[in-house]
Amino acid sequence: MGRAGRFVVRQDEASTLVEVLADGRVRVGDAPDPFTVTAAGEGQYLVSDGSRTWRVAVAGSPDARFAGTGGTTARLEIEPEGAAPRTKARRGPGETAAPMPGTVIEIAVEIGQHVSVGDVLITLEAMKMELPIRAPREGTVTAIRCQAGELVQPGVALVDIS
Amino acid sequence: MITRVLVANRGEIAVRIMRACDELGIDTVAVYSDADAHAPHVRAARHAVRLGPASPSESYLAIGALIDAARTTGADAVHPGYGFLAENAGFAAACQDAGLVFVGPPAEAIAAMGSKIAARRAMQQAGVPVVPGETPADQSDASLVAAAGRAGYPLLVKASAGGGGKGMRIVRGEGELAVAIAGARHEARAAFGDDTLYVERLVPHPRHVEIQVLSDHHGHVVHLFERDCSTQRRHQKVIEESPSPALTPGLRARMGEAAVAAARAVGYRNAGTVEFLLEGAGDEARFYFLEMNTRLQVEHPVTEAVTGVDLVQAQLRVAGGFPLPWRQDDLQQRGHAIECRVYAEDPASGFLPQAGRILLYRAPQRPGIRVDAGVESGSDVSVHYDPMIAKLIAHAETRDAAIARAIAALSEFDVLGLATNISFLIGVLDSRPFRHGAIDTAFLDGEGAALIAPAPLPSAALAAAVVHEERTGGAPADGPKRRTPDPWGTLQGWRG
Repeated sequence: MGRAGRFVVRQDEASTLVEVLADGRVRVGDAPDPFTVTAAGEGQYLVSDGSRTWRVAVAGSPDARFAGTGGTTARLEIEPEGAAPRTKARRGPGETAAPMPGTVIEIAVEIGQHVSVGDVLITLEAMKMELPIRAPREGTVTAIRCQAGELVQPGVALVDIS
Repeated sequence: MITRVLVANRGEIAVRIMRACDELGIDTVAVYSDADAHAPHVRAARHAVRLGPASPSESYLAIGALIDAARTTGADAVHPGYGFLAENAGFAAACQDAGLVFVGPPAEAIAAMGSKIAARRAMQQAGVPVVPGETPADQSDASLVAAAGRAGYPLLVKASAGGGGKGMRIVRGEGELAVAIAGARHEARAAFGDDTLYVERLVPHPRHVEIQVLSDHHGHVVHLFERDCSTQRRHQKVIEESPSPALTPGLRARMGEAAVAAARAVGYRNAGTVEFLLEGAGDEARFYFLEMNTRLQVEHPVTEAVTGVDLVQAQLRVAGGFPLPWRQDDLQQRGHAIECRVYAEDPASGFLPQAGRILLYRAPQRPGIRVDAGVESGSDVSVHYDPMIAKLIAHAETRDAAIARAIAALSEFDVLGLATNISFLIGVLDSRPFRHGAIDTAFLDGEGAALIAPAPLPSAALAAAVVHEERTGGAPADGPKRRTPDPWGTLQGWRG
């Protein structure tokens, strides 16, 4: 899974899509310029956006990475884009939430429909990309909390599954 | 002559004491609780003895186990560090009774300074200024009003028997006194069954300035100037510095003389610190004895930085019976030193202490930077002990340069896996009141509380770095793994 080019990075309630480009640079969210990341020793990277450079320390495992620079630190979760949410991480109302602000372009299920793990429930468009929201577990759709064309925010369940 | 020292402590101070011993050719014995079996201080010593379970009462506070450990390992001296048993007269006496040199003052001096009332009386007799106040024998209203007049306004009226603020009233002028006396009496009687009142002048906006003293067994007492510890949060020191921005040469000399007099008054030996409340600044300032810390202080490195004296080595020499190698006139302050205490606590959640594993620990390296730490990558911060994990000391030619150096170094200080106060420390150092040297002991709990606001985080840059780490696998960044118990750590009761 470490080879995939697109990842979702979560920090607190906010999710950001991060894309590793063919040339190795890293595009984060809707930032205009991709970052150049250079390894600089164990757990240490130099991250540059062309005008500024940060020395970033990183430690931990994918579902709890810690990163810090300049005396400030954050805890981040990272997973390949479109992966089924980690079972331990996302149970509860946020489990079918958008990972970032986006527009609902398709609702693929109906109330009462039986879904299996990984079935696409909703397709969002965000940052000019389609982003599927998949069923985190097997069950029956009991509510759909968005409409096609609606701009939705992260952290709010879009579909309830019994 | 001391040949082998048992260090009755843990964490950074145990490591620091062992380093001083190494340099003097003195052998070292570490003691540890089960929580600390793999701690850096255990490896820093030549010998190590398990004391017991993690709970301090069963380990670092267990006097019997410590004396046993010293006897078994052939130690001839005990250094208590700070905290735990460092100011326990019973421990000092137990060491003496066991034929061990206690690297600290005599038990009698610890006891004399341990009682606030006895210490205050001893200081008054020695001519050391104390906060004006008294418990009048005649407790009539008229007598209390007269006592208040002698103490001066603003003042506190409080229960003589009490503590915890019960029965305490702030009085700003004589007009408020009658009501305060009646109220305090009522509360004191209800809380303590005793309505005896004490009046004491309230020192407005005090600074906390302390004087380091050293005394040998040959009648020499010197002071090593001041440390300003006004940057406190809920009475917990956060940043300390020397020299104090509030002192002039004349005031420094007066405070130094008072501290030496305080040490002489109680027959003090070894290193100690006389704490004063300072009212005002410069030659007009007034200072009052607060208490004496009869031990090495957490913040001793700032004094070491500006005087060039290794205080722990000096302690060991004095304890070994050697005279102090310098007189007062040989000592001077050079440059400016600032210590920042790095705590495992989360400023964003009310400074809640953090427990857990430090996944990455990387201390900065710069000219003029010293870091004393008791942790490393892979260390577990336990709920059982103090959350201070390291101290960063910046020394430079001027105060401004020391602030800049401390901020630069803290910005490079990587501690990942649990929250620390590092960004808060940077915020305090960078604040206008701190830069102007205009801090009193209430600053961090008052206007300085706004500094808790988290520094802006370059989230995108952090996300880019973690994705790079995820994609490349990254170098192993979470330090030594200790999933398998160390066989030596499981040998219960084994003594090395």
